[in-house]
Amino acid sequence: MSLTVVKGLQSEIYVPITPPPVWAPVKKELKDMTIALATAAGVHHKEQERFNLAGDFTWRKITDTMPSNELMVSHGGYDNSDVNKDINCMFPIDRIHELAKEGFIKACAPVHAGFMGGGGNQEKFKGETGPAIAQMFVEEGVDGVILTAG
Amino acid sequence: MQRAIEEAGIPTIIIAALPPVVRQTGSPRAVAPLVPMGANAGEPNNIEMQSAIVRATLEQLVKIESAGKIVPLPFEYAAKV
Repeated sequence: MSLTVVKGLQSEIYVPITPPPVWAPVKKELKDMTIALATAAGVHHKEQERFNLAGDFTWRKITDTMPSNELMVSHGGYDNSDVNKDINCMFPIDRIHELAKEGFIKACAPVHAGFMGGGGNQEKFKGETGPAIAQMFVEEGVDGVILTAG
Repeated sequence: MQRAIEEAGIPTIIIAALPPVVRQTGSPRAVAPLVPMGANAGEPNNIEMQSAIVRATLEQLVKIESAGKIVPLPFEYAAKV
Protein backbone atom coordinates (compact mmCIF):
# COMPACT_ATOMS: atom_id res chain seq x y z
CA MET A 1 0.00 0.00 0.00
CA SER A 2 1.29 3.45 -0.86
CA LEU A 3 1.46 5.83 2.07
CA THR A 4 0.49 8.77 -0.15
CA VAL A 5 -3.28 8.98 -0.24
CA VAL A 6 -3.55 12.45 -1.75
CA LYS A 7 -0.78 13.35 -4.17
CA GLY A 8 1.09 16.57 -3.37
CA LEU A 9 -0.46 16.93 0.08
CA GLN A 10 2.04 18.28 2.57
CA SER A 11 1.50 18.39 6.32
CA GLU A 12 1.82 21.76 8.01
CA ILE A 13 3.38 19.94 10.94
CA TYR A 14 7.00 18.90 10.69
CA VAL A 15 7.13 15.20 11.43
CA PRO A 16 10.65 13.84 11.91
CA ILE A 17 11.23 10.36 10.60
CA THR A 18 13.50 8.17 12.68
CA PRO A 19 15.96 6.39 10.39
CA PRO A 20 16.40 2.60 10.50
CA PRO A 21 18.70 1.37 13.29
CA VAL A 22 22.46 1.07 12.84
CA TRP A 23 24.46 -1.25 15.05
CA ALA A 24 28.15 -2.13 15.31
CA PRO A 25 28.63 -4.83 17.95
CA VAL A 26 31.16 -4.43 20.75
CA LYS A 27 33.89 -7.03 20.25
CA LYS A 28 36.21 -6.39 23.19
CA GLU A 29 36.11 -5.81 26.90
CA LEU A 30 36.50 -2.20 28.05
CA LYS A 31 39.98 -2.88 29.39
CA ASP A 32 41.05 -3.89 25.87
CA MET A 33 39.43 -0.97 24.03
CA THR A 34 41.00 2.16 22.53
CA ILE A 35 38.48 4.96 22.97
CA ALA A 36 38.11 8.17 20.95
CA LEU A 37 35.94 11.24 21.51
CA ALA A 38 33.78 12.97 18.92
CA THR A 39 31.83 16.07 19.82
CA ALA A 40 29.28 18.27 18.12
CA ALA A 41 30.07 20.99 20.67
CA GLY A 42 32.40 22.95 18.37
CA VAL A 43 35.64 21.96 20.12
CA HIS A 44 39.01 22.66 18.44
CA HIS A 45 42.57 23.76 19.22
CA LYS A 46 43.13 27.49 19.71
CA GLU A 47 45.40 27.54 16.66
CA GLN A 48 42.82 25.89 14.42
CA GLU A 49 40.28 27.77 12.35
CA ARG A 50 37.11 28.65 14.26
CA PHE A 51 33.78 27.31 13.10
CA ASN A 52 31.41 29.56 11.19
CA LEU A 53 28.74 30.12 13.82
CA ALA A 54 26.03 30.52 11.18
CA GLY A 55 26.41 26.84 10.21
CA ASP A 56 29.48 24.79 9.38
CA PHE A 57 29.83 21.20 8.20
CA THR A 58 33.64 21.09 8.46
CA TRP A 59 35.46 19.32 11.28
CA ARG A 60 38.72 19.59 13.19
CA LYS A 61 41.12 16.78 14.01
CA ILE A 62 42.07 17.01 17.69
CA THR A 63 45.22 15.04 18.40
CA ASP A 64 45.52 13.33 21.74
CA THR A 65 48.71 15.24 22.52
CA MET A 66 47.01 18.66 22.42
CA PRO A 67 46.87 19.89 26.05
CA SER A 68 43.25 20.32 27.19
CA ASN A 69 43.93 23.92 28.24
CA GLU A 70 44.76 24.74 24.60
CA LEU A 71 41.38 23.55 23.38
CA MET A 72 38.46 25.94 22.92
CA VAL A 73 34.91 26.10 21.62
CA SER A 74 33.33 28.06 18.81
CA HIS A 75 29.64 27.20 18.60
CA GLY A 76 26.71 29.55 18.22
CA GLY A 77 23.99 27.15 19.28
CA TYR A 78 24.29 26.69 23.05
CA ASP A 79 25.44 28.53 26.16
CA ASN A 80 29.24 28.20 26.09
CA SER A 81 29.83 29.49 29.62
CA ASP A 82 30.30 26.08 31.27
CA VAL A 83 32.55 24.71 28.54
CA ASN A 84 34.61 27.92 28.56
CA LYS A 85 35.32 27.26 32.25
CA ASP A 86 36.25 23.62 31.66
CA ILE A 87 36.50 21.94 28.25
CA ASN A 88 35.86 18.56 29.92
CA CYS A 89 32.16 19.45 30.31
CA MET A 90 31.69 18.66 26.64
CA PHE A 91 34.99 17.05 25.73
CA PRO A 92 36.02 14.87 28.71
CA ILE A 93 39.56 14.34 27.42
CA ASP A 94 41.28 14.59 30.81
CA ARG A 95 38.81 12.07 32.26
CA ILE A 96 39.49 9.60 29.41
CA HIS A 97 43.23 9.95 30.00
CA GLU A 98 42.72 9.16 33.69
CA LEU A 99 40.61 6.10 32.88
CA ALA A 100 43.28 4.85 30.45
CA LYS A 101 45.97 5.38 33.08
CA GLU A 102 44.09 3.36 35.69
CA GLY A 103 43.41 0.56 33.15
CA PHE A 104 39.63 0.95 32.95
CA ILE A 105 40.16 1.24 29.18
CA LYS A 106 43.23 0.16 27.24
CA ALA A 107 44.10 3.52 25.73
CA CYS A 108 43.04 6.89 24.50
CA ALA A 109 42.92 7.09 20.69
CA PRO A 110 45.64 9.23 19.07
CA VAL A 111 42.96 11.37 17.38
CA HIS A 112 39.57 12.80 18.24
CA ALA A 113 37.05 14.87 16.30
CA GLY A 114 35.36 18.21 16.85
CA PHE A 115 32.56 19.61 14.72
CA MET A 116 29.68 22.04 15.12
CA GLY A 117 26.32 20.37 15.39
CA GLY A 118 22.86 21.88 15.57
CA GLY A 119 22.82 23.29 12.06
CA GLY A 120 24.78 23.48 8.84
CA ASN A 121 24.40 21.45 5.69
CA GLN A 122 22.95 18.14 6.90
CA GLU A 123 23.58 16.40 3.57
CA LYS A 124 27.27 17.31 3.79
CA PHE A 125 27.39 16.09 7.40
CA LYS A 126 25.80 12.80 6.42
CA GLY A 127 27.61 12.23 3.13
CA GLU A 128 31.07 13.75 3.77
CA THR A 129 31.91 14.83 7.32
CA GLY A 130 30.55 11.75 9.08
CA PRO A 131 32.24 9.22 6.77
CA ALA A 132 35.55 11.20 6.88
CA ILE A 133 35.64 11.14 10.69
CA ALA A 134 34.63 7.46 10.72
CA GLN A 135 37.41 6.66 8.24
CA MET A 136 39.99 8.38 10.46
CA PHE A 137 38.85 6.32 13.46
CA VAL A 138 39.02 3.08 11.43
CA GLU A 139 42.56 3.88 10.23
CA GLU A 140 43.69 4.68 13.78
CA GLY A 141 42.37 1.38 15.17
CA VAL A 142 39.69 2.90 17.40
CA ASP A 143 37.51 0.31 19.20
CA GLY A 144 34.80 2.61 20.55
CA VAL A 145 33.72 6.24 20.42
CA ILE A 146 32.03 8.46 23.01
CA LEU A 147 30.09 11.34 21.49
CA THR A 148 28.74 14.43 23.16
CA ALA A 149 25.89 16.21 21.41
CA GLY A 150 22.18 16.88 21.73
CA MET B 1 27.79 11.45 12.95
CA GLN B 2 27.23 8.67 15.43
CA ARG B 3 25.49 6.65 12.72
CA ALA B 4 28.35 7.18 10.25
CA ILE B 5 30.93 5.90 12.75
CA GLU B 6 28.68 2.98 13.61
CA GLU B 7 28.22 2.16 9.90
CA ALA B 8 32.03 2.00 9.63
CA GLY B 9 31.94 -0.82 12.20
CA ILE B 10 32.95 1.04 15.37
CA PRO B 11 30.51 0.90 18.31
CA THR B 12 29.52 4.30 19.72
CA ILE B 13 27.61 5.85 22.58
CA ILE B 14 26.38 9.41 22.94
CA ILE B 15 26.11 11.46 26.14
CA ALA B 16 22.97 13.48 25.53
CA ALA B 17 21.39 16.41 27.34
CA LEU B 18 18.35 16.21 25.06
CA PRO B 19 17.31 12.53 24.88
CA PRO B 20 14.20 13.14 22.68
CA VAL B 21 16.43 14.59 19.95
CA VAL B 22 18.72 11.59 20.17
CA ARG B 23 15.73 9.27 19.84
CA GLN B 24 14.49 10.99 16.70
CA THR B 25 17.86 11.01 14.99
CA GLY B 26 18.26 7.26 15.41
CA SER B 27 21.15 6.99 17.86
CA PRO B 28 22.17 3.35 18.47
CA ARG B 29 23.28 3.83 22.11
CA ALA B 30 22.79 6.78 24.42
CA VAL B 31 23.04 7.82 28.04
CA ALA B 32 21.28 10.81 29.52
CA PRO B 33 22.53 12.37 32.75
CA LEU B 34 20.42 15.26 34.11
CA VAL B 35 22.52 18.06 32.66
CA PRO B 36 21.93 21.18 30.59
CA MET B 37 23.04 21.33 26.95
CA GLY B 38 26.64 22.50 27.15
CA ALA B 39 27.68 20.38 30.11
CA ASN B 40 26.77 16.92 28.80
CA ALA B 41 29.73 15.30 30.59
CA GLY B 42 28.97 17.05 33.88
CA GLU B 43 29.55 20.18 35.93
CA PRO B 44 32.65 22.27 35.05
CA ASN B 45 35.67 21.41 37.22
CA ASN B 46 33.73 18.65 39.00
CA ILE B 47 36.20 15.88 38.25
CA GLU B 48 34.32 13.35 40.36
CA MET B 49 31.03 13.86 38.49
CA GLN B 50 32.65 13.96 35.04
CA SER B 51 34.62 10.82 35.76
CA ALA B 52 31.52 8.98 37.00
CA ILE B 53 29.54 10.03 33.91
CA VAL B 54 32.29 8.90 31.50
CA ARG B 55 32.75 5.63 33.40
CA ALA B 56 29.00 4.90 33.38
CA THR B 57 28.86 5.82 29.68
CA LEU B 58 31.60 3.31 28.85
CA GLU B 59 29.86 0.65 30.93
CA GLN B 60 26.67 1.21 28.91
CA LEU B 61 28.66 1.03 25.66
CA VAL B 62 29.31 -2.64 26.34
CA LYS B 63 26.04 -3.33 28.20
CA ILE B 64 23.33 -1.99 25.86
CA GLU B 65 22.03 -4.89 23.80
CA SER B 66 19.93 -3.35 21.06
CA ALA B 67 19.80 -0.18 18.96
CA GLY B 68 17.83 2.83 20.14
CA LYS B 69 18.32 2.38 23.87
CA ILE B 70 18.68 5.53 26.00
CA VAL B 71 19.82 4.89 29.57
CA PRO B 72 19.21 7.65 32.14
CA LEU B 73 22.22 8.29 34.38
CA PRO B 74 21.79 9.28 38.04
CA PHE B 75 23.89 12.47 37.93
CA GLU B 76 22.41 15.92 38.18
CA TYR B 77 23.87 19.33 37.47
CA ALA B 78 21.82 22.50 37.08
CA ALA B 79 23.77 25.41 35.59
CA LYS B 80 23.52 28.66 37.48
CA VAL B 81 22.53 31.16 34.79
